[in-house]
This record gives sequence, C-alpha cells and structure tokens, in this order.
Amino acid sequence: MSEWLRKIRERAEKALEKKAKYGPDIDLSKYSRIEINEIDDIIGLASEPAKRIGLSDREVSNAGYVQVNEKIWHGIIVEGLKRQGVIITSTGEALKKYSWVRDYYWRNISVDLDKYTAATELYSNGRGYFIYVPPGVKVKVPVYTCLFITSSWEAQFVHNIVIVGDGAELNLITGCVVPHKIVGALHVGVSEFYVGRNAKLSFAMIHAWNKGVHVRPRTSVRVMDGGSYISYYLVHSDVASIQAYPSVKLDRDAKTHMASIILGSSNSIYDMGSEAVLQGENSSAEIVSRVIGRDESWIAARSRIRAFTSPSRGHIECLGLPLSKKATIIALPELESRVEGAELTHEAAIGKIAEEEIEYLMSKGFTEEEARALILRGFMRVEVPGLPLQTQRLIDATIKLLTEKATG
Amino acid sequence: MLLDVVNLVVEVRGRRVLKGINLRIGKGEVHVIMGPNAAGKSSLLASIMGLRKYHVVEGKILFEGEDITGRPSYERALKGIALSYQIPPPIKGLKVKDFVSAILSKYKCSVDYFIGKMLEVDYLMDRYLFVGFSGGERKRMELYITLLPHPKLAMLDEPDSGVDIDSINKIADVISILAENKTSILLVTHTGHILSRLVDKGSIDVVHLMMNGKIVFSGIPDEIIPLVFKYGYKEAIEKLQRLDKNE
Repeated sequence: MSEWLRKIRERAEKALEKKAKYGPDIDLSKYSRIEINEIDDIIGLASEPAKRIGLSDREVSNAGYVQVNEKIWHGIIVEGLKRQGVIITSTGEALKKYSWVRDYYWRNISVDLDKYTAATELYSNGRGYFIYVPPGVKVKVPVYTCLFITSSWEAQFVHNIVIVGDGAELNLITGCVVPHKIVGALHVGVSEFYVGRNAKLSFAMIHAWNKGVHVRPRTSVRVMDGGSYISYYLVHSDVASIQAYPSVKLDRDAKTHMASIILGSSNSIYDMGSEAVLQGENSSAEIVSRVIGRDESWIAARSRIRAFTSPSRGHIECLGLPLSKKATIIALPELESRVEGAELTHEAAIGKIAEEEIEYLMSKGFTEEEARALILRGFMRVEVPGLPLQTQRLIDATIKLLTEKATG
Repeated sequence: MLLDVVNLVVEVRGRRVLKGINLRIGKGEVHVIMGPNAAGKSSLLASIMGLRKYHVVEGKILFEGEDITGRPSYERALKGIALSYQIPPPIKGLKVKDFVSAILSKYKCSVDYFIGKMLEVDYLMDRYLFVGFSGGERKRMELYITLLPHPKLAMLDEPDSGVDIDSINKIADVISILAENKTSILLVTHTGHILSRLVDKGSIDVVHLMMNGKIVFSGIPDEIIPLVFKYGYKEAIEKLQRLDKNE
C-alpha cells in the first residue's frame, strides 16, 4: 500500500467508533458483505425495485454504472461517452489507472468525519462510481447510476467521485433501490463532487428504500468560480432511518439550487439536511424542501446557509405537511453570516391542506380523495431550474404515481 | 325543468343565508340575479353547487327531476352543474395544463379551442392555477375551466367584477355564445356591461332581485334593469313591488 493511502486508512481506523452528529447510531458489526452473480440476474432482480423509482429495464441496462450489492456492472452507455473523453468507472479502478485521481480522494470530505466515512474507506474496496467529464464537454443525456441491495443484513459501502471539468456539463440520475423482501441492510454512500469553473452538474436522486434499511449518505460538493450545482432529492419509501447533510461549497459567482422532497411513511426516521457555504463573492444558494409526514414517520428537515463573503445571497424555503396525527415534522432552517452585507432569508411553514382548495376541486367534479391527490402533487412539485427535461419528466411521472396512492 | 329549487333554506355556521328560495330554470334559459352585497346571491349559487359549508335546513334542489339536495358537489358537477367562482383559490404546484387534462379525462370531453381562444388562456397553461394571476386572467381562466366539461347549467358568480375592460368584453362574448348554444345560465352580476350586451342580443329570460336571503322580485330585463341602474337596488325594489301590487 502506498504511503498516502496508508495515512488515510490510519485516520479511518481511528474514527471507526466515532458517532455521527445527527441520526440514530448504527452498530456496523451487525452487517456483513455478500457478493453475487450475473448481469442478467441483476436486471431481472433489479426490475421490481427499479420500477418503484420509475426506471424501466431499458434504463437499467443502459445505465452508466450499476452496482448490485457489492458487484459492479458497467453499462453500454459508457462506450459512447468514451469518445468524448468521459470516464465512467469504479472509484477503485480510477485510482489504479490515473494517479491524479488521488487529488480528489477524500479532499472534499474528511475520511474521519464519522464512523460511516471511516468504514467506507476501510470496506468499500474501491466500489462506487467515478465519473470524469473533460473541460468543455457537455453530456446532455442524463447518466444513470443505480445501486441495488438484494440481500438482507448486508452493508453496502460506496465511495463516489464526480469531476466535471471547466465549462463542462453533466446530468446525473441515481436511484438506490432495495426490494421489499430485504429485512435489514445498511447503505453508506460517500460522494465527492467537483464542479469546475463555469461548469454545471445536476444530480437527481430518486430513492426507494424499505423498512429495514439504514441509510447514511455523506456528500460534499465543491463548485468553482461561475459553476452551478443543482440537486434534487426525492425519498418516498419506508426506511429504518436515513440521515444525510450534504454540503455545497461555492466559490465566486457559483450557485446552487438544492431541493429535497420527503414523503415519510410508517415509523421511518428521516433526518435530512442541505448545507450551502457561500465562500466566494457573488455566490448564491437556494434550498427548498417539501416534507409530507404520514403514519408515524419522524422527519427533520434541516437546512443551513453560511455566508463568509459578500455580496452573497441565500434563501431557504421549507414547507411541511403532516397528514397523520402521529407523524412528526421538524423544520430547522439555519442562517449564519460572518460578514456584513450577505442577504440570507428563509421561509418555513408547517400547515395543512387548505379546505377551500379541496372544496374548489370537488366542485369541479373530483372526489375528495382525487382533490387531495391533485393538491399533494402540487405540494411535492418543486420547480428546479436547470434540470434537464428528461429528468424533470421522470420526476413528474414518479410524483404523479406517488400522489395517486398517497392520499389514503 | 332543468333546475327546480323549492323553498330552500340554507345556513352557514348557524347563520341563515337563504330564507326560502324558489327558482326554476328551464333548458337553455338565461337567468340573472342582482342584488346588494350580502343579499345571498353567492350563497344561492354555492348551495345549488353543494359546497360543504352550506347546510340545507329546509327545501330541496331538483336537477333534471332528480333530488340532489344531499349529494356532494362532485356528483352535481358530473351531472352537468358548474360554478364559476367569484374568487377561485390559488393552488400552488398544480399546473393549469395538468388540471385541464385531469378535467378532460374525468369528463371524457375535448377542449373547446374556440372558447380557449376567445378567453385568451393559452399562455397561462404552464402557470400554477391562479397563482399570481391578474384579476382578468383569473376570471377568464375560471370561466374557461367552468365551461370545459360543457355543463348543462353554468352558474357564473360575478364573472366581470374586478376585471379590466378588455377581459369584460371577452367574457361577455363567451356568455352570449353560451346562451346562443342553449346552455342554461345563472348569472350573478352588478355591472351594466355584460347585461347590456346580453339584453341587446335578447339573451336574458328572467332577472331576479335578491335581498336578505330572498328573491324579492322576478321579471323581464326591460322591466327591471333600467330601474335598478336609475334608483339603486333598494328604491328599485320598492317601486317594482308597488307597481306589482297596483297591477
């Protein structure tokens, strides 16, 4: 093992017991890692859960990166992009092949942040996707990455790295999927994204976990001068617990728009945050979340904008809608300024479906249930400027499907 | 008879808003309701539509001979009754085009491009329903939505209030066409513009004057409208009732 890697591993080992700041603590020793089989099985296996997030077989087999449990499968799409100099591979392969990749490995996020980042370093064995888009190359067609867990009591650790060169563009869609039969699993995904000068990265995540699964993503994004990062996060399934607090650091003239839509159900715990750090002049951030609490779900929607420079602007909008007496929604917008002249605002509200809206829709011929579905669909629909049309369509279709069955 | 309202008494949160209304509208007839604020005009329309806070205490509503008094509003809508709200609520996140297609598939009907063109609503299709609409846009859109399912009875609650003159003209044109096409109309309005246009075309069959939850006078437009505009509601009603008695 080379010296630089050994140093990282040492730090990781020391942090293996370090609890995370938020979310229930997970005993990592309860989970094992199991390997499996052939791509055909995977598509078959993946079909059921993939449909839950709106992906068809074709999309799964065309995906840029597919990982089932701990096995990695690359899609056909990769060949076409190769000609443009785009690299899609596993992080492990990338580290072996290109020495410069180490400059992006644990640079945006500390390996000893908590036990989950530490365990990812020690147990991921190079798994996770690595995507590099050369400067000036605009990849318009969304690249799908899918991660599947198919065995119970499995822990999936992945370390993803995405580098979008200066003036380049990449649109990512990712879905992590777990079939209904899985009773217990752990997913930890570390993601380090680097968005170059005047580059653009959009990242849509549509997730369907299930009751027994704990999820601990650790995401950090650096956006260089004039770049933009757009993220859209939709979680609409049961989960044992999910805790995430992705952070986006913005240089001069850089901007971000982060949207999280959480449709909570059963007794799941969702502790979801978004952080933007305005560190370059004229940087701006908009963080939007929509939270629906059903059953006995517990949902914390955290968001934080920190300004270290001015002029800079940030706005948080967090709207919650409890649909059950036993659901808990906590909206926690945080604004922090270390300078004079930053403009930071927030709007947080927890409300109910307006009776007059239901009444209006019913008078137009819709049953109460249909009226609620139309309103919920509207509530969950967040305009995210900069998302490609295909991505937006996939999201709209998913939300339509969800609201039709979510009104009970 | 298309609509037959019999001795209707309605309460809203215990307050009596309609105090024994009798109203019969035949197929293709155009009825206008006029009256001062709080006379119960909007309450009458809302009660016929079946909005939930309007509790029928006495009387009944028949539509095409069927008693619909206890039926929910969506059932009445599907039977062919439509209400154009005076102030429809903005619904954030619901795109106009999505709502329009939901209505079209619910009623298995198709878009009336002509009405759409006349009301100039095309450019609003990508917007959220009534969110940030101007007065005129709101009225034109609400009328468009109301007419989408081709209702048998269109109840229009002040389609011309708070609207610029261009929008009023478009709305008046559409109402005239509806009347010509034999859609029954129950129209609440205060302003002369739509009325004079409908009167000119001879579209209006009956004008009802309402006050304190009652229809106090019904008659032909030529008899009533000039008096209302000359003397105001209160005096006009007194004069009309006196005339009535003398006859």
